[in-house]
Amino acid sequence: MAGRETRAQPIATGAANLLFVAPAFLLFGLFVLLPLISSVFYAFTSWSGYSAAEWVGLANFRRALADPVHLASYLHVTLYILGTLVLEVSFGLVMAVVLNSDRLGFSLMRGMFFSPMVLSMTAAGVLWAFVLDYRLGLLNSVLRGLGLADWALPWLSQSSTALIAIMFVSGWRFAGFYMIIFFAALRRIPRNIHEAATLDGAGPVKQFFTITLPLLRQQMLTCVLLAITGGFAGFDLFFTMTNGGPFNATEVPATWIIRQGFDNNQLGYATAMTVILAVVVLVVSVIYLRVTERGDDVRY
Amino acid sequence: MMSAIERRTAGEWLQLVAGGAVVGAMFYPAVWMVLSAFKSNREIFKHPFGLPAEWRWANFAEAWDKGGLGGLYVNSILVTATAVTLTVGLATAAAFAFSRLEFPGRRWLYRLLLIGLLLPPPVVAIPLFTILRDMGLLNTLWALILSGSAWSLSLTIFILHGTFNAIRPDMEEAAMLDGANVWQVFRDISVPMVWPSMLTLAIVNTISIWNELMFALLFVVDDDKRTLPVGLIRFFGRYSTDYAMVFAALTITTVPILALYFLLQRHVIAGLSATAMD
Repeated sequence: MAGRETRAQPIATGAANLLFVAPAFLLFGLFVLLPLISSVFYAFTSWSGYSAAEWVGLANFRRALADPVHLASYLHVTLYILGTLVLEVSFGLVMAVVLNSDRLGFSLMRGMFFSPMVLSMTAAGVLWAFVLDYRLGLLNSVLRGLGLADWALPWLSQSSTALIAIMFVSGWRFAGFYMIIFFAALRRIPRNIHEAATLDGAGPVKQFFTITLPLLRQQMLTCVLLAITGGFAGFDLFFTMTNGGPFNATEVPATWIIRQGFDNNQLGYATAMTVILAVVVLVVSVIYLRVTERGDDVRY
Repeated sequence: MMSAIERRTAGEWLQLVAGGAVVGAMFYPAVWMVLSAFKSNREIFKHPFGLPAEWRWANFAEAWDKGGLGGLYVNSILVTATAVTLTVGLATAAAFAFSRLEFPGRRWLYRLLLIGLLLPPPVVAIPLFTILRDMGLLNTLWALILSGSAWSLSLTIFILHGTFNAIRPDMEEAAMLDGANVWQVFRDISVPMVWPSMLTLAIVNTISIWNELMFALLFVVDDDKRTLPVGLIRFFGRYSTDYAMVFAALTITTVPILALYFLLQRHVIAGLSATAMD
């Protein structure tokens, strides 16, 4: 993320300058900060959204910590994040190396590889629900065509494969994003470093691990952070493809919060879970930033 | 020397084949979607691959009518255009102030704003729902415009702040010495200076707001005020066994976006990767 910039002298001073930030802060305060602060209050109440909120102390938090689906949702989201580190970040990195060429066709391939990023998660989710459909899905058709009919599974409707299936779809959607970040960084590595290594007899695989990877450390750290914070916020794909099912096997914090809050009208309880989610995301991010900032940056 | 060139060519062939295979496999579902949209349900089942025996353009007209896709498109365009304009406009003014001006609470306000970078939107969904209800905005497009815009501000201001800081304020200082006021400097010098960044951020925010699902799902109830992502889910729920219909609706909602993307590819990619690289 951004380093500390040295700030130039301000061109004007005075409270009147607040007018430039006031409109943005009105919007930000009203629709981001105010709901954030009120969630902290509602988390301690029993509240259906229409009646007055009734103070219940820590009851919601005790319930959240004993709610097996809620606890399982953190396991699922952790697995999902680990999956995205492989299927989005690492896959994106490998493809950045593979698609790093000026030859004809590579620009088009990078564009195609990136294209799922502009589709909505709902379009991606609906499309993949059909690709993964048991009866006439593309995947099972291919498997049957290859004579692997036993491998044709109801991917999204059985607990053991649903989460993995969503991870793959997520990889399909986001790998292009990470690819482009790594690709931009690869282009900034001076060509002569690789040429020198080739003359010294290092093969492409060895060069990847000893030269490319260390030089991409900064991008790596950013991408992992994005995968973590993005993973915890994950909602769209889960809602579209399985809505937490089958049997809560793909329930993540966001889908469970929305279900408890809006389908079951337990807004107090749902808000308590959002507070837990916010704290978890902030704590994990801060720990991650602290740990990674200790390492020395590789500069080139 | 000759052998070195030959070896490189062999490696490049491998690179092309490997890249092509992965990209082809990943792009194939989109091709399959478009081809299936022209088929009948029976044909999708019997001949999942290959070209349709008969190109049924009528599928698209039917999906367009049944799904009310025209209305969904209009709502999505209204919400996205308004929210993006609002976001980029307000963010540019704020980023200008944070970078170029001094005022009480500057540091403190900027830090407060950065909270929005890490916070996942589900965290505020519930209280935001009641705030919008109390303001009488629930079930209006304004609910989506204002909340979508507010949630885009942090990232937009953060990146524009970086853009401003990377440019020395010499021009602005000179204009101030010539007697221009701060607003004139902002309008006539600073905005034209960061215009490319503003366009890039407009593209980034267009993609995220166009695709926004959760707020649109929770804050709008009436069918005629829905945006595309929610409309598509409803459509999928209603016609989940009418495969040709869903593929036609999917094609109508995704192909124009993909076409626009390939047209503006350079800008879209530059924009989306800029959000991660600062």
